[in-house]
Amino acid sequence: MYSPWDDDHSGQNTQHQEAEWTKLSNDFTNAGYREGITAGKESALQEGFDTGYADVGAPIGRELGILRGMATVTLNLLDGQSKMLQNVPEDKDKLLAEARDISTQLSRIRFSDIMPPDLEAEAHAREHLQIQGEELDVHHDVQNKKDIETLEDRLENLNREEDSQFQGLRPTAESTKELRERLYTVIKRLGLGATFV
Amino acid sequence: MAGEFDLESLVHVEQTFYDTGFKDGFAHGRIHGLIEGRALGREKGFEMWEELGFYEGFAKTWRSMLLGSPQRQGSERIAQHINHLLELISKFPRTNPSSTSVTGDAGEELDISKLQRQIRSRYKVLCSCIGVRPRLQAISEGAGTNEEVDEIDQSGMDIDANITAGGSSIPVWKIDKATGRRSAVTNQDLNY
Repeated sequence: MYSPWDDDHSGQNTQHQEAEWTKLSNDFTNAGYREGITAGKESALQEGFDTGYADVGAPIGRELGILRGMATVTLNLLDGQSKMLQNVPEDKDKLLAEARDISTQLSRIRFSDIMPPDLEAEAHAREHLQIQGEELDVHHDVQNKKDIETLEDRLENLNREEDSQFQGLRPTAESTKELRERLYTVIKRLGLGATFV
Repeated sequence: MAGEFDLESLVHVEQTFYDTGFKDGFAHGRIHGLIEGRALGREKGFEMWEELGFYEGFAKTWRSMLLGSPQRQGSERIAQHINHLLELISKFPRTNPSSTSVTGDAGEELDISKLQRQIRSRYKVLCSCIGVRPRLQAISEGAGTNEEVDEIDQSGMDIDANITAGGSSIPVWKIDKATGRRSAVTNQDLNY
């Protein structure tokens, strides 16, 4: 077959030519790959964003937000900040303590505690780790938030040294469920239906 | 003649290599774009709806409270505020409108940040009616409170007009808007 590279027909330079050819191939393939990855990434960011927003972020955020809103009102009603409560229950102080605890625990929950793992992302990260020993890149904003949370954890643990029972324990999706049940119980005691949300 | 042919063929072969690389890179880039976009969208969706959910839970609990004591003084006014707030929240999209706007009604564009401002000030008005301190988030993020409250009070029942009127500003939040930096997508940031 005629090859444009083959103008020296002596065959002595074949090795050299082959190396040149490989280099040419690699250079252009790599350049294409680099630009392709950028273009591919940009083409998919919005789609990923919309999925993450609608399928995970918004519903989980709403659920936790509603609980926090409800907990705040029960606290408002019980601690007398608003004088709206008509039939004050006889064990008001006990209920108040319970509402405080629920409210505090709800406020401790972070999104990272309760969000489901992105399995596809984890699988892809493992692939990278196996092939190149690299870690997957994380977006600045997400990484910043992670760093801040790590710092918060350390501070919290410093403050908690005496009472090491909770050290390092993060809430889970299961604790959210428990807190919801406890909150509903308090709300029912206040004469409010818990099924209105 | 032969020289020209060589050159053309060379260009072609370079393009083929480039295209092959580009195609593979594009596929890989898409995976990364989806992953990174999902992570961002999750955070943003959580952030926005945690706040809105809070107002929703707050308003509905108070509404349930009022239903138990309808004769209370001022409760009618409070109930009105609650209904307004809940109505506004129900208009807030649970999906990013950018994905639906293609098929959706082109005439009805949502001004997200305006709606969010309205919800926040409506919530603060409700708080002062009830006599409780508003959540810190709503105070710190709503600058120029009085002005906004005025705006809301004037609009009154005419909330629909306000929401649909916003054609000038961007109706959806795009990725680069959400993060504030487009430079995130560069070769240097990518591992492959």
